[in-house]
Amino acid sequence: MNSEIPLNWFLYFAAASFSIGLVGVLLRRNAIVVLMAIEIMLNAANINLVAFWRYGTPPPGAGPLAGVILALFVITIAAAEVAVGIGLILLCYRRWNAADVDRYDSLSG
Amino acid sequence: MAEIVFLVIAVLGLGSALGTVLARNLVHAALYLIAFFFAVACMFVMLEAEFLAAIQVLVYIGAVAILLMFGIMLTRNVQGDDTTTIPNAWKVPGLFAGFCLFVVLVFGINNAVSPSSRGKWATSTNRPSIVADAQGIEAAWMTERRDSINDMARMVGYQLMTRYALAFETAGLLLTAALVGAIALAHREEEDPAPGRPAGTAASADAQNGPRAGGAPAASTSRR
Amino acid sequence: MPPNVPTLDFRDFWHIAPAGVLAAWGLVVLIVDLVLARKRSVDERRRTIGALSMVGVGLALVAAAGLLALGRCAVEHFDTVSNLVGPSLAEYFGRPGGTILLGTTAANFQTDVFNVLYVILLGLVVWISTSYTFTDNWGEYFALLMWATVGMMLLSASEELVMMFLALETMTICLYLLTAMEKSRRRSAEAGLKYFVYGSVSSALFLYGLSLVYGLTGTTQFDAIRQALIDSDPGDGGIAGNLAAASALLLMLVGFGFKVSAVPFHQWAPDVYEGAPAPVTAWVSTGSKIASFVVLLKVFLHAVQPWSHPSNQLMGPGWLALVVVISAVTMTYGNLAALAQKNFKRMLAYSSIAHAGYMLVGVAAVSVSTRGVEAAGSVLYYLVVYAFANIGAFAVAAWVVRDRDGDQIEDLNGMGRQAPFVALCLVLLMLSLIGIPPFAGFFGKLYLFLEALNQGESTERLTLMGLVALGLLNSVISAFYYVRVLKAMYFREPSGARLRPPRAAIAAPVVLSAVVVTVFGVAPTPLINLMKSASAPMLTAVQPASELVPASPAPTPAPAVVPAPAGAPVPAAASGVPESASGLAG
Repeated sequence: MNSEIPLNWFLYFAAASFSIGLVGVLLRRNAIVVLMAIEIMLNAANINLVAFWRYGTPPPGAGPLAGVILALFVITIAAAEVAVGIGLILLCYRRWNAADVDRYDSLSG
Repeated sequence: MAEIVFLVIAVLGLGSALGTVLARNLVHAALYLIAFFFAVACMFVMLEAEFLAAIQVLVYIGAVAILLMFGIMLTRNVQGDDTTTIPNAWKVPGLFAGFCLFVVLVFGINNAVSPSSRGKWATSTNRPSIVADAQGIEAAWMTERRDSINDMARMVGYQLMTRYALAFETAGLLLTAALVGAIALAHREEEDPAPGRPAGTAASADAQNGPRAGGAPAASTSRR
Repeated sequence: MPPNVPTLDFRDFWHIAPAGVLAAWGLVVLIVDLVLARKRSVDERRRTIGALSMVGVGLALVAAAGLLALGRCAVEHFDTVSNLVGPSLAEYFGRPGGTILLGTTAANFQTDVFNVLYVILLGLVVWISTSYTFTDNWGEYFALLMWATVGMMLLSASEELVMMFLALETMTICLYLLTAMEKSRRRSAEAGLKYFVYGSVSSALFLYGLSLVYGLTGTTQFDAIRQALIDSDPGDGGIAGNLAAASALLLMLVGFGFKVSAVPFHQWAPDVYEGAPAPVTAWVSTGSKIASFVVLLKVFLHAVQPWSHPSNQLMGPGWLALVVVISAVTMTYGNLAALAQKNFKRMLAYSSIAHAGYMLVGVAAVSVSTRGVEAAGSVLYYLVVYAFANIGAFAVAAWVVRDRDGDQIEDLNGMGRQAPFVALCLVLLMLSLIGIPPFAGFFGKLYLFLEALNQGESTERLTLMGLVALGLLNSVISAFYYVRVLKAMYFREPSGARLRPPRAAIAAPVVLSAVVVTVFGVAPTPLINLMKSASAPMLTAVQPASELVPASPAPTPAPAVVPAPAGAPVPAAASGVPESASGLAG
């Protein structure tokens, strides 16, 4: 595809998604929605990485695919994180019968 | 042409991201999230990283979203209850913080000063060419870039087996650890209730009644 | 066929042998637990699997110590080593330390020393874990402990953003899971979820920061990032007016601030320390903190060091001003909040926040000091001493939880009478944490603060003097809450259940830590020298050496077997950078 889209557009999209994700983390109290918002933030970072990979020229010795590989590993990490997160949420849900971060109150101070 | 496609995808993607964050119903939120993942995959295609787009669809939509759906089902928040709404007191400051972050990032993107030798972000409208110029001279990275765009799966494979070999192994370990740990945590041993663990059994029996949206708030408040 | 695929030197994998042994042994433990030990009682499994894990730790210790010895002796005793492992390997180990696996990982004196340290600390944690039953997933528990350690080892060895982020996540994800392992208690699950939520958000922010750094410099390797920043036009003033770089730095600081529990990213720490089982808390507060600080030093003092204070003003634009502020707030807040705590583990959490503040003084000092390597060495020394003192303290917490089923400070009442020897050891640990001579904690603070004062005449000196004064004041404050522990042990009537005599699983770690803090307090020189020589390869090019480093590394062709990072620091150290050279000598 002959490029007509400036790099900035991708970065704006990523920045907007990242901000939306952060708003979600700040506003929502349900642990699963927080998890989804975190996924949005990770995806935003991935778009950044791939855009920088495609629009930049690699310095010598950096390998041809640095940004893509990092994005690939981020996808892996996100999968692991979601599995762990769901496990922890289920564990807490059984104790409190709520998936709401504010409800958990056995620790304070 | 490409610009129009980009704008459509971007609007859809941002709309579904907003939907995820704001939707009261958790299943709707998860569906919006899937739409967002798909928009990101489209972005990857527009960045000529088709392999990554395929992985994105496979892993995020195929696994992560499904896992989240399971999580929603198992915690019975299907219809949304009082825990999924946004407390009003936080709404304005939260949105304001997000907006500020966005403004800062946009200004940052616009005036980013890369180290010399690297183009400014604001002015880089064209992707570096991946074909030799008129004189037929091409840098080594150009060849590599061309290979990695045209045959990304293979190049990623080579990279994972050489430069990122250790990272690849670590990712395997990470997935194993997450699997093992998540199973150990979420596993309920109802068949052989060992003494000293009564806390989990009452709640878990309750959870088996299936997703009943109406009962969740009452049950959760009474159990505090 | 793709052109120019760089080839791996497979001997490189020898350097990650300790991590490999632990990773594999985690699987062994898991399988043995699943297959053989299922039918046994929980207590029996705890002992069997614990013993099996100790075997694995022993193997890893052999591997780590062997690597350390090989690295040290391969030059001087070439023939012996050559007979032992063959000439090719002997020659390989005799090379000057550098990066392995095409520049993604470091393998040098520092990583060897820290691998040994992690394995020893892991051994203590595993030993403490066998003291009482707090979970019935023993196989998973010990496997995850080992895998978290693998994450730590690779984290402190990483030389590249991909490797760093992966190792960081491996470490923290294992720790989230371990925190929630005490399934019979509510607070453990809650602590795990809180740790997870805060941790994932901070790593998402961190990753976005990394992506901006990658965009600005075009590379993911620490040394190449540094070169790119050094080579940039001096007129553009670093990050002044560069909002993207500032956001990148800020986001990275959030990520690291979370991992080392610096204010204002500390909220998870008290809850997690209190909610997690005591051995896990010990590992969160020591292992993960050491690894995070090591990588913090690497990133901030090597990779983005040119951004520390570009305009030569300490409080000018750059991360240094932020670190100074965070450090001041962290130690003050940690100490003041610790005063109000009634729970022993929660108090230790706030004390560990305060200690992170002291160590950040060291980070600031490394950046401006004329003796960067020594200053970094003093941070490492502080970390080691702090780690041993904390492991001992959490072993006592495990003991109190086992016998009195509570971890309030008042649960320690009367310990001085019921178990005089262990109580005495805890006294030594507390004195070391306060920083009273002649214990190691005192020398930790002394070296740290002296290095912070050790600079040329400038405005920096004044700011850091203020920081050191604040640190001293905070040490005095900290005495109050540590002394409350001693008061409970010696001046209160025994309350609650009688403490059963601690078995080896508790007594040995406590005694060993007390011995460590005493011995390295009475004779601190060997350890501080060791740490200084370990910090040299970690930060070889720590000085703002834009003019000293021979112009950017020659544009090597892509299939470089030894890429830039290996090439750049070594000549800089060898070719008479005055500060680095003096650092190596000292």
